[in-house]
Amino acid sequence: MTQTAILPLALKMKTLFFIIDKALHGNVCAQEFLDIALMAAAFDQKVVLLFEADGVNALLKNQQAEALELKNITPILNALELYDIKEVLVEKESMQAWGLVERQLAIAVKVVSRCEIQRQINLADHSFSF
Amino acid sequence: MKISIQINASPYQHQAADTAWHFIQAAMAGGHEVYRVFFYHDGIYNAARDSRPPGDERDIVKRWSELNSNDGVDLVVCVSSAQRRGLLEQSVAKKVGGYEKAIANGFRIAGLGLLMEAIIDSDRHITFGA
Repeated sequence: MTQTAILPLALKMKTLFFIIDKALHGNVCAQEFLDIALMAAAFDQKVVLLFEADGVNALLKNQQAEALELKNITPILNALELYDIKEVLVEKESMQAWGLVERQLAIAVKVVSRCEIQRQINLADHSFSF
Repeated sequence: MKISIQINASPYQHQAADTAWHFIQAAMAGGHEVYRVFFYHDGIYNAARDSRPPGDERDIVKRWSELNSNDGVDLVVCVSSAQRRGLLEQSVAKKVGGYEKAIANGFRIAGLGLLMEAIIDSDRHITFGA
């Protein structure tokens, strides 16, 4: 990206792990949180997004955030690939707790176990939650 | 060690700003470099110039301003978080007829790029406040 050309420090590539464990709509926090993840991707950092606990509901199709006069998050989820964010993980145990299956979700995700998530967080340079 | 700090919660109602400030004091006393403090989400209220707590209480905003004037720590307020919540940078306020002195001394307003720069360039990035 052009941004990195003027910012030599951005050549350093870190792995940043973003944990979404709360419902996305209802306040502006999730939107602002995702802005950090997108910005990280624009800075050519390796971004991993994890949805767990209540956060898994954000991935469901047919969100109607407009009813609350909030921005729908689904278009941002669809844009993740354009930002080169390919690692979108969902915790298997959370999916089970909410009785969700993959075909109900708006985007393609990797369903992974809690144990595997722990391993990946340990590999990341930084992890973020909100 | 080079440390950057992110503060996500408003002062007085949450402990984040206090904990972060004490952490920064301890880090500097321990010989570490505090590279930047980035104020995000409701954390931007830490920069509210007109905050006037009673005389027998700690003055959180003033404490931050002094961290900049005495120790040279870079205090950055996220522009989009701040605009959403009514703290405008002087030039923007002038343009839209808003309050031009919203931001306390020692803070500067900037974008998420400066957060990314801090994350990439620091050995540790520590977030305070949910």
